[in-house]
Amino acid sequence: MDNNFKISKKTKIVSLESAITDNIKPGNIVFLGGFGHAIPFYSSHEIIRQNIKDLTICRSGADILFDQMIASGIVSKVIFGYIGNPGVGLSHSFRKAVKDHKILLEEWTNYSLILRLHAGRMGLPFIPSKILQIGDMPDNIKYMKTIKCPYTDIDMSAIPALVPDVAVIHAQQADEFGNIQMWGVDGDTIEGALASNKIIVSVERIVDNSEIKKFPDRTVIPAHRVSAVVELPWGAYPSYVTDFYSRDDKHYIEYDKISRDPDLLNYYIDEWIRNIQSIEEYMKLIGKKNLKELQNGMCGLKSNDE
Amino acid sequence: MMNDCRTLSQNARIAVLAARDLQDEKSCFVGIGIPSDAACLAKLSHAPNLSMIYESGVIGTLPYSPAMSTGSPSIAYNSDMITDSFTVFGELQAGRIDIGLLSAAQVDAFGNLNSTVIGPYENPKIRMVGSGGAHDIACLVPELIILMPHDSRRFVNDVDFITSPGANKEFAETRLKNKLGSGPVSLITDRARFYMSKDGWKLDAPLAGYSYDEATEDLPWDVGKGINNSITISDDLFNAIRYLPYLEAKN
Repeated sequence: MDNNFKISKKTKIVSLESAITDNIKPGNIVFLGGFGHAIPFYSSHEIIRQNIKDLTICRSGADILFDQMIASGIVSKVIFGYIGNPGVGLSHSFRKAVKDHKILLEEWTNYSLILRLHAGRMGLPFIPSKILQIGDMPDNIKYMKTIKCPYTDIDMSAIPALVPDVAVIHAQQADEFGNIQMWGVDGDTIEGALASNKIIVSVERIVDNSEIKKFPDRTVIPAHRVSAVVELPWGAYPSYVTDFYSRDDKHYIEYDKISRDPDLLNYYIDEWIRNIQSIEEYMKLIGKKNLKELQNGMCGLKSNDE
Repeated sequence: MMNDCRTLSQNARIAVLAARDLQDEKSCFVGIGIPSDAACLAKLSHAPNLSMIYESGVIGTLPYSPAMSTGSPSIAYNSDMITDSFTVFGELQAGRIDIGLLSAAQVDAFGNLNSTVIGPYENPKIRMVGSGGAHDIACLVPELIILMPHDSRRFVNDVDFITSPGANKEFAETRLKNKLGSGPVSLITDRARFYMSKDGWKLDAPLAGYSYDEATEDLPWDVGKGINNSITISDDLFNAIRYLPYLEAKN
């Protein structure tokens, strides 16, 4: 082929501000990625800064990002399997919002939520499963239908599809066209992204398309499904990104104390979210020493060299 | 000389007792905390070929430092495989994972577990984390082991909400009819091991160093007299605790 032949493809790289403004509207169902790993903290904080209200947020296992979104008053409903601070305790803002009847719950289990997303991803109205037949069910599950297997006559739950309006996820790298490469723990992140109508991705680094082509099996979402790409190194802090930085467990432990106290929490949300103008300011807040330690920590940059 | 389990922390006692129930070459679906610790101890002693599967999709790992989430770096690091949650839950539903380990806030006589609410669902006194994968594991796994610290508030006649179903008659019938897993087989506390009978939990035996009265203190159920005098912990298993120093540091 003629080496001068060039296809001019559209770049998906935009500012974080317009990625959120252009793709997330009040009342949307938003899937937030990250199963312990690569949680899109910084890009989700932008939703809080833009004060986009009346949102429904969903995922299977949710941690303190959900707590922060709920505490910020922009969430009217959660669709979930688990909301807590893993290994530490409860989600105090979630607990308080339930107590004050300020939030609607659509409660599932981790597997049923993953099956809901999987059905959405496949364009099917439901997926049959053996779960959710015995035990106590919240109202939303009580209305779920059952189905008899046409081959074996066995009763099963008909787990309904979930199609979020938009997914917000974080990954290691992308090219400017929006080919997304992610490795390490996925959980239900790709499931949720591909179930959604739009996908917003923040990445640790933008790489050339030739880098993508070296390991195309690492591409988890193809460019044509991606609406916006934003380069945000440290965008998953205080969670971690495999081959970049480790998890700041101390931040999660500290957050437990902070989120018990409304005044402290308000101060935290101002300091870590509302008053932050750029990812550089976020990194400054994390602190040089901490950044270095996390890069050297387990699953960080240095793990590769051992 | 018999290993003195009274010198161990509460979590370490539960973990060593539970580890005994995990046989070599089995596969087990484990959550974070004592379930993962128990599986580590088994793997480090009598069950080197035990496969540990986490709901985050991580398989074949041995975390030497405590993990806070099933997706944590210490779980992912040095693992044999990382797949997605859809795949590991699929393996579970297909009956290809042998054992599940769960803990919860409350347990009743038939192994029904609550991790959703204390008080009524619509107006809870304490809203807890919810099922996560617990309901799914309890429904699907062939053999379920329940781990609980001995705390009388956790042992109840009726749990406030059945997050993860147990083995009472009605559930057992549905389990059989619709080809679910058969549910809880043992309850491990830091003082004793109980097994599931058609009438609910019965005492197997107290952990070595504990009396019958201590093992059954404040339990609201009739657990019988026990079928063994006491459970001793093998040297291999007891010595494995030193590889997990954080297990001793807890509580």
